[in-house]
Amino acid sequence: MEQRENDKIKFTYTDEGILYTDCFANTVMTLEDGKESTRISAEMVNYIPRPLLCDLTNVVSMTQDCRKHFASAEHAATFSKCALIVTSPISRVIGNFFLGLNKPLKPTRLFTSREEGLKWLRE
Amino acid sequence: MSDLDNDKRLNEILEMIGRVAALDFSRMLPVSKNNDMIDAIALGLNMLSEELNSNVVEKSKLDSVNAKLEKFAYTTAHDLRSPLNSISGLVTLLELTVNPEKNSEVDLYISKLKATTEQMKSLVQGILEYSKANVGSVLMEDIDLNSVLKSVIDTDQLAERALIKIIDPLPCVYFNKSAMDQIIRNLLSNAVKYSDKKVCEIVVHGKEVEGRYQIAVTDNGPGIAPEHQEKIFELFNKVESEVKADSHGIGLATVRSILNAFGERIWVKSSVGEGATFYFTMKKRR
Repeated sequence: MEQRENDKIKFTYTDEGILYTDCFANTVMTLEDGKESTRISAEMVNYIPRPLLCDLTNVVSMTQDCRKHFASAEHAATFSKCALIVTSPISRVIGNFFLGLNKPLKPTRLFTSREEGLKWLRE
Repeated sequence: MSDLDNDKRLNEILEMIGRVAALDFSRMLPVSKNNDMIDAIALGLNMLSEELNSNVVEKSKLDSVNAKLEKFAYTTAHDLRSPLNSISGLVTLLELTVNPEKNSEVDLYISKLKATTEQMKSLVQGILEYSKANVGSVLMEDIDLNSVLKSVIDTDQLAERALIKIIDPLPCVYFNKSAMDQIIRNLLSNAVKYSDKKVCEIVVHGKEVEGRYQIAVTDNGPGIAPEHQEKIFELFNKVESEVKADSHGIGLATVRSILNAFGERIWVKSSVGEGATFYFTMKKRR
């Protein structure tokens, strides 16, 4: 297992081959944060797309540019499918905007529990 | 948070909705660290407002570009008419001067030159009519559709080329007279142009539907396959199986453009081999 973190996100890549990203409390995600997240993720999976569990629970805001970046081909290259965990009201709004408006390029679904998200990623 | 605080936040949300409805995207709602449902609604509204603002700005730029393109198309088509008329005149003079022997090579070339020139004039006229269709301020008036139909049939001598029947007197509508002429002219001439029968039959009928008039122009032509029924209204789009030498794919695009500019609609119902009915909507007279 490999772990890295910056001032906003903790990245965990398990031996099972799933990448987890967990944001710290009251995280505001900007475009720069999005690009940094993509860069670190790509390095950790060795540039081979892997299932991604992204927990948005602690995100309190995400800029329009950041959402666009996460829906871009550049970020899509880092994952094969993505489970977005949205257990707070704000993260639910952000998750729905991301899915409905930005339309990510790889299979992405919203879950209110990590267990359900992992179950789908393992299919 | 207290009920008073929540009432205040909800009032701010209502105010924001009003501003966004008026296309004022300058306000953003405060989002607290409580991450409660009202925070989620506030954030959602902020994000929607941002997206709407982007779309409005983008639309404004596109509208500006479109206006310039329309003006360019109109000006270019207008300026091309004069030299084309000159070429047409010169070809006629050439024919009179050279007086070629019938069916000779020279006669053939002059005939082709005349036909090509007429085709270009027709294309330029079509572009001019299409670009004029988007002009904003026009005179609206009560129009008797029966008179318009009769006038177009007489002017274009359509009675010699088609059997045109009107079912019940057509209604009076509130529209622009020259635009109405163009719509009727384009629909009738299309029916005649694409007719595959010995006798082209056209039936025109109007009825009231949901507070507006719905006018139907039905022909006994070859019909239009479902996959082409939207494309026929696109500019320069011609149904390959029915390409005619004098067809530029502008007529129906012009009709739709005119109707859309006045907030009306046009659509077609047809099956291959069973003719076609073009429906369009019109406001009732004042």
